[in-house]
Amino acid sequence: MGIDLAQFHEAFFEESFEALESMEGSLLKLDVSAPDSEIINTVFRVAHSIKGGAGMFNFSDIGSFTHTLETLLDGVRGGRTRLTTPVMDLLLRSVDVLRELLRGAQRKETFDPQRVADLQFELEVIAVAQDTAVQQPAQPAAASPAPAPATSAAAAAPAPAATPPTAVPVALEAPPSEWLISVRPLENMLSRGNEPLALFAALAEHGELAVTADVRELPPLEAIDAHRCYVQWQLRMTSAVTQERIAEAFEWVEGDCDYRITHAAGPPVSTAAAAPAEAAPPAPVPSAVEPPPAAPAAPSPGGDPQSASRAAGRAEGTPAANSGDSSSIRVSTQKIDELINTVGEVVITQSMLAQLGALAEGTSAERLRSGLAQLERNVRELHESVMRVRMLPIGFAFSRFPRLVRDVAQRLGKQIELKLIGEQTELDKTVLERIGDPLVHLVRNSIDHGIEMPEARVAAGKPAAGTVHLEAFHRGSAIIIEVSDDGQGLDSDRILAKARSRGLIGAGETPSQEAIYELIFLPGFSTAEQTTDLSGRGVGMDVVRRNIKSLGGKIDIRSQRGQGSRFTISLPLTLAIVDGQSVCVGDETYIVPLVSIVESLQIKAGGVNRLSMAGEVVSFRGAYLPLLRLHELFGIEPRSRAIHDGLVVVVEGDGQRVGLFVDDLRGQQQVVIKSLETNYGQVQGVSGATILGDGSVALILDVAGLIRSTSSRREAA
Amino acid sequence: MSAVENTSATTIGTVALSPDAVLRLPPQCTIRDASQLLGQLMLRLEHSAPVYIDAAKVERIDTAALQLLVAFLRDRKARRRAVVWLECSEAMMRAAGALGLTGALALTPAG
Repeated sequence: MGIDLAQFHEAFFEESFEALESMEGSLLKLDVSAPDSEIINTVFRVAHSIKGGAGMFNFSDIGSFTHTLETLLDGVRGGRTRLTTPVMDLLLRSVDVLRELLRGAQRKETFDPQRVADLQFELEVIAVAQDTAVQQPAQPAAASPAPAPATSAAAAAPAPAATPPTAVPVALEAPPSEWLISVRPLENMLSRGNEPLALFAALAEHGELAVTADVRELPPLEAIDAHRCYVQWQLRMTSAVTQERIAEAFEWVEGDCDYRITHAAGPPVSTAAAAPAEAAPPAPVPSAVEPPPAAPAAPSPGGDPQSASRAAGRAEGTPAANSGDSSSIRVSTQKIDELINTVGEVVITQSMLAQLGALAEGTSAERLRSGLAQLERNVRELHESVMRVRMLPIGFAFSRFPRLVRDVAQRLGKQIELKLIGEQTELDKTVLERIGDPLVHLVRNSIDHGIEMPEARVAAGKPAAGTVHLEAFHRGSAIIIEVSDDGQGLDSDRILAKARSRGLIGAGETPSQEAIYELIFLPGFSTAEQTTDLSGRGVGMDVVRRNIKSLGGKIDIRSQRGQGSRFTISLPLTLAIVDGQSVCVGDETYIVPLVSIVESLQIKAGGVNRLSMAGEVVSFRGAYLPLLRLHELFGIEPRSRAIHDGLVVVVEGDGQRVGLFVDDLRGQQQVVIKSLETNYGQVQGVSGATILGDGSVALILDVAGLIRSTSSRREAA
Repeated sequence: MSAVENTSATTIGTVALSPDAVLRLPPQCTIRDASQLLGQLMLRLEHSAPVYIDAAKVERIDTAALQLLVAFLRDRKARRRAVVWLECSEAMMRAAGALGLTGALALTPAG
C-alpha cells in the first residue's frame, strides 16, 4: 500500500488556520511605535511554516504569496522595513487573503486571483523599498530605517533620522560563517509527509550546503520498512544567517527529526536531541553549551542588548518543542464522536443493569448492587472525561474579536477598547463553533449602536474610548458569555415608539422594561435611523436568539440609559447529554431537562381554573400558570385525568412558565440525546429521544417549543 | 500505478535482456509506491545475472525510494551480484545529490 500525501492536507490546513489565528493575534498585539521583536519573529515563523507546508504539498499560489509576505516580514524583523500603520494594515489584509487562499485550496477552488495579485504587488512594492534601503552601508547604521522611496504609499512614512535603533527588531545577520548540522529523522518522518529533500532545499536558501549521508543504519532489504527513514545526514553550511534562522527550517519537521546545529568553530548552539548523530562529526564538538564566539545575534551598537540574549534563549528552547515528546495529539472529531456515542451506549447498558440489580434477590444481591453503584460512578467519570475531550477554550471563538473590533471601530471613527475575560473557559466544540456568529452580531451591535462617538462620550463625561467586555465563565452546568459595553444603553422609549408605530404594542399598554428589550429580538425590528453594512437592517438579533436557542441556551438583556448594555448568554456545556427528570404519562415515559424545571407540585382537587383566553390555569405562588396536559398534547390515555391524582411540573422556557400535568415522576438521570431529526423527523415540542435502562425509548421534551406551541394554539383559539 | 515498469525487453549492445533483469523506475517514484518498489527489488535481490536499473523517466524521486535503491545496491554487492545503471534522469541525479546519496548509489555526477 502506498502513501497518499493528500491525507496530510487536512492536517496542514488545520495547522495553518490555527497558525494564521496566532499570526493575526500577534499582529494585533504589535505596537507600531515600539514593535516587540519576539512578536515579529512569531509572525515571521508562521509565514515561514505555511510556506514550507505549501511547498511540500504543491500549493503553489499559497507558497508564492507567503514567500512575498515572508520577504516583507524578514525586512521588518531585520530592521530594513519600518513597521507603520499602513504596513500593519497590509499585513492584516495578507492574513485575510492567506486564509482565503487556504480555504480555496481546502475546497479545491481558486480564490480571486486578482485580489491575491494586487495584494502581492503591494507587498512587493514595500519589499523593493526595503531592498533599496538596504543598499545603504551594511553596517549597524543600516539597521536604522532608511527613507522609503516615494513609489510605495504604504511605506512612504520615512523614519525620522533621529529614530533610535531601539525600535529595530532582532536577528541582524552576521558575516558568513560555517555551520554543521546533523539530522536524524525519527521513525515517522517520511510517512508524515516530511521530506528531507524539502528540508534541505529550505536550508539551501540560506547559503551553500554540502550534504553527507550516513546509511549505516539502513537494514538489509528484507528487513526494511519502506515508509521509514533510516538515513542520517551531516550538513555543512556556509551562511550569514543566525543559528536561529537555521533552526526555523526545522519547524515544519518538528517532532519528526532530531537535529543538532553546531558552529564549525565553536560549541553546539542548537540541538533537538540528547543523542548526537551517529556520523563522524567533521569537526570537534566541545561539550559546553554557550553561544559561539561569532554570535550571529550579537546586538548592534546602540541596539537592544537584550534582544540577542532573547534570541539565543529561544533557540535553546527550540529543542524541547522538537523533541517529539508532544503533550498533545490531534484527533479527528469523528473519532471522538464515535467514542462519545459508544460511551453513551455504555451509559444505557449501565442504567439497564442498575434496573436489573434493583430487582435482584438473594445472598449476593447486595454485593451486586454495590458493584453496580461503583460501575455507575465509573461510567459517570468515564463519560465526563470523554466529554472533556470535546471541550475547547472559548478563546478560540474570542480570538477573532480583536481584529473585528479594530476594523469596525476604524470604519466608524470610534475608539474602542476590547477586554476579553475568561478565554480559558471551556465548552463543547459544537457549541463553540455555533456561538461565534451570534457573538459577532452582539459585538458589532455594541460598537455600532452602543458605543458613542468620541466627542459625544467626552461631552457625557465618559472617556473618549468606549469599552466592550467579552467575558465567559461557568455557572453550574452552563457556560455564561456576557457581551457588555459602556455605551449609551438601549433607548427603551425609541424601541417602544417603534413597536407602537408597527402595531406590536397597543397605545394604552405599558410593558415592563424587560418586555421592551425583548422587542429587539423580533424579526425585522430595528430602531437604527440609518442602515449601515454593519447593522440596522433588523436581521441579526432574531437570528442571534434563534441560534442560541437551537443550542439549548438563552439570552437576557440588561441595559441602563447612558451607562451601557449587557447581553448575557447562557448555554449548556454540551449538547450530547442532558440531566433529565423522567415523568410518566400513561404507559409512556418522557424526559424533562432538569435545567427547565422550576419545581413539581401536587394540586388539590378544584385547583384548576379555566380562563376564556388562557385555557386551564393553576395557581402558583400568587400567579396563574397555564396548564398543559401532556396526555392531550401527545394523544395518550393517562392513568387519570383528575388533577389531584397526578403531578404538575412547573417548567420555564423563553422567560415563560407553564405547568405540565403528568401522571407521576420517576427518577432523575443523565440521558444520552439521540437525534430524532436524523433518525425520524422533527416533532413539535420534542428535542430528541433517548434509550432508557429497560431498552425503551423516551422522548426528551423541548420545553421552549412546548410553550411556544401552547401560546400559538391559544392565540388561534 | 505500478512503482516499476518492466513490460518490454531492453537491448544493451547486442544482448537482449529479459524484462525481469531490468527495473524501469516510473516518473513518480515516491513513498506512495515505495512498498511496491521494495517488492520489485526483493524479487531481483537474488538474481544471479546483473540487474539493470533504468531511471531515465524519473521526474520525481524521494528519500523513501532512494534509500531502498541504496539498500538494494549494498545488498547486491554483499552477494557479489552486479547492478548496472542504464540511464538516469536529471531529476534523479539532482535528488540523489541533494540527499548526499550519489556515492552510495554508485552514480557518477555526470549521469
